[in-house]
Amino acid sequence: MDGVTAPLLALRGVTKRFGGLVATNDLSLDVFPGEVHALIGPNGAGKTTLIGQMTGELRPDSGQIRFDGVDVRRLSAPRRARLGIGRTFQITQLLREDSALANVAMAVQAGQGHSFRFWQEVRGDASLREAALMALDRVGLLARASVPVAALAHGERKQLELAVALAQAPRLLVLDEPMAGLGPVESQAMTGILAGLKGHVAMLLVEHDMDAVFALADRITVLVYGAAIASGPPAEIRRDPKVLAAYLSEEMG
Amino acid sequence: MGEAGLRVRRLLPWLGLAVLFAVPVIVQRLGMPSLLGLATRIVIMGLAASSLNLLLGYGGLVSFGHAAYFGLGAYAVGILNAQFVSGDPLLGVIPGTDELAVTLPVAMLVSGAFALVLGALCLRTVGVPFIMITLAFAQMLYFLFVSLKAYGGDDGLLIRRPNVLASLNLRDGATMYWIAASCLVAYLLVCGRAMRARFGRVIAGQRQSPRRMAALGIATYPYKLVLFGMAGMGAGLAGALMANFSRFVSPDMMHWTQSGDLLIMVVIGGAGRLWGPLLGAAVLIGLETLLSGWTQYWQIVLGPILVLVALSGPGMRRRIGWTA
Amino acid sequence: MSLVIEQTLNGVQLSAMLFLLAAGLTLVFGIMGVINLAHGSLYMIGAYASAWTAAATGSFLLAVLAGVAAAGCVGMVLEFLVLRRLYASDHVDQVLATFGLVLFFNQAMALLFGRQPLFVTLPGWLSGTVMVAPGVPYPVFRLLIIVTVVVVAALMWVFISHTRIGMLVRAGATSRDMVRAMGVPIRGLYTLVFGLGAALAGLAGLLAGPIYAVQVGMGEQILISTFVVIVIGGVGSIRGALIGALLVGGMDTLLRAVVPGLLQMMMQGPDADALAGGIASMGIYLVMASVLLVRPRGLFPAHG
Repeated sequence: MDGVTAPLLALRGVTKRFGGLVATNDLSLDVFPGEVHALIGPNGAGKTTLIGQMTGELRPDSGQIRFDGVDVRRLSAPRRARLGIGRTFQITQLLREDSALANVAMAVQAGQGHSFRFWQEVRGDASLREAALMALDRVGLLARASVPVAALAHGERKQLELAVALAQAPRLLVLDEPMAGLGPVESQAMTGILAGLKGHVAMLLVEHDMDAVFALADRITVLVYGAAIASGPPAEIRRDPKVLAAYLSEEMG
Repeated sequence: MGEAGLRVRRLLPWLGLAVLFAVPVIVQRLGMPSLLGLATRIVIMGLAASSLNLLLGYGGLVSFGHAAYFGLGAYAVGILNAQFVSGDPLLGVIPGTDELAVTLPVAMLVSGAFALVLGALCLRTVGVPFIMITLAFAQMLYFLFVSLKAYGGDDGLLIRRPNVLASLNLRDGATMYWIAASCLVAYLLVCGRAMRARFGRVIAGQRQSPRRMAALGIATYPYKLVLFGMAGMGAGLAGALMANFSRFVSPDMMHWTQSGDLLIMVVIGGAGRLWGPLLGAAVLIGLETLLSGWTQYWQIVLGPILVLVALSGPGMRRRIGWTA
Repeated sequence: MSLVIEQTLNGVQLSAMLFLLAAGLTLVFGIMGVINLAHGSLYMIGAYASAWTAAATGSFLLAVLAGVAAAGCVGMVLEFLVLRRLYASDHVDQVLATFGLVLFFNQAMALLFGRQPLFVTLPGWLSGTVMVAPGVPYPVFRLLIIVTVVVVAALMWVFISHTRIGMLVRAGATSRDMVRAMGVPIRGLYTLVFGLGAALAGLAGLLAGPIYAVQVGMGEQILISTFVVIVIGGVGSIRGALIGALLVGGMDTLLRAVVPGLLQMMMQGPDADALAGGIASMGIYLVMASVLLVRPRGLFPAHG
């Protein structure tokens, strides 16, 4: 975070339009290695669209997106994931018919080269199993490893999303509202897990839960109508008049 | 479940296999030899439906043109046989043959190759367009074969003598049945293994959440394409067996209604279950045999039955253990 | 020259029929997200109802009304009883259910009318030819088809771009969720769209009767060609249905006119004719394949 370290993820002048609507407006953003960079803003600010452009599900109309110096603008989502961008989904994207362990094992398998293997049964594969159990342990789901996803509680599924992303050993973790739908106790637990990851992996945290944001973030960017109206350390953002004007003050707590 | 219960569960597949291979003997003892032909048809169609199950049940890919590969396999046998009988090589280069050891692999290669080419195009789409395109390509092949008057065209092609395999006589009902049953079991063994291996996990993953697979860094297109090839080969094998069994090949084998029948077998038998399609084939062919004895309009009953099965939905079917 | 004009008109006439079928079907795909194999059955029902009425009453007008009404009514009943429950279903179940409907309707028609094709005789004023250019006679009825579809297409365009309901239909094709969020009575909209598509299919069927003969299973063949039109044009797009229909109708007619002659130069005998027919039939699918290579979602996909 000194002027010398290069950003891990760098967005410059990214713009995205849907017909007449400007979803992302000339946005520039940096995420440095090891930092937690939070992205906040009212609903409809364009956070989902922005995540889509970072991870490769959407293509920006103009601007630059560089990951670790590499221009990723034209790379597909799987390609970017292999470069080290992991993500969690706001509405969990899990393999509902499988167990928690199998879900995480899938992520481990994805990181071990191609999967054109037709004979060796996955169930007996110790390398997958061990790595998966470790990831589950990091998020506190070890006891629920063999439970099918359909039987997991909402909070546990959010934890599982995180475990799956972690099992990819990402360098940047894009978290899309990890607290969505969690009660106060679960939110605190999730905040604790994320706090434990601080410094080990860079995180772009998109969230509404202000307690979590202020507990975790090293820097905060505020997004309104697709444009960044303020960016800086939490203390600054708290006092920024533009931000207070854009938001209802209750949200800021 | 108690110890005894577990032991029974583990024995069940072996018991099933034993029954499967004992059918010719059972049929003899029961004094109903005509049932053997029916059983052979069920096994062969079960194989064809199993190959569709790879795409539909495991892969979540609703292919409505699978009969094309079934027909291609059959025609491979028919054309090679025709060239063998006439003595002229195909296209001036490829000699005809009536050796099963050659025709079966050729049939699988041809249908597999077509599946790869057509699959490469179809897989560029998803959802409703995918279904329409698979149907359209199958129909295209149907028209092609209808127009090949040299091989019977619309009327089809007779195969006077089935292929030979060493000293085995395929005209013998039991021999034909055992060959078909062996092919079915072998195919299911290979596919079952593949579905439990890393390849199968990717297939299952992309069925449940394509977005998740992309986020994990897996480009699923090559895997789906390989699956297409595997499915095509299975259908081709079934087609080749059918050509030998019924000693007749016609474009109707690739007609879209045949694709529909395969789809019905997979769903009724339990999509995503390894042995489901065989059960589905038994049910559909059994139903057809039974009902058509009463009236030629039996499909007027089958139609609404299918509607009801479909309306019960996969959720309901999963709850009663029907589907994986 | 007269041959060229005649073939061109034939191509337009085929395109017209395909458009009637594709326009309704593409909306059902695009708005309700349902694949409906029974669309061909509605076409067949229109043809049968019309043929039967013509034979029973001798009135062309009544026959037309009967065809459209029968298809439209059956369509709406189908929507209410079956299709409605399939909107949220997996595609497999939609295919299975509508395939079951196809089997049912084919057998029902066979039961009612027998398996032999019905031939429709046109009233005197429609069965002659007219001069479309000096020395070029063309069947009046085929011209009527072209004119009818142009009028219908124009009416559809007015309906879709200049009425509120039409706007909802367009919006629904682009974004189902948006329309729902607008608080529009979705069910009513769906039934309307389905009924409209069914009526168009019935119209196509009754127009096809005098040319192609009315028989069980007539719907499925043209349905598959309709699928090709929609895939090329783009799901959910009426404009796509129009362009696709012109492409497919034109290409098919062109190939059938040209390929036999070309093949005769290379091969001899009746085998050549059959093969030519086969290659001509395959043509539209090869066009579809080519379009897919560069535009996997069709030429004018509705969804952005």
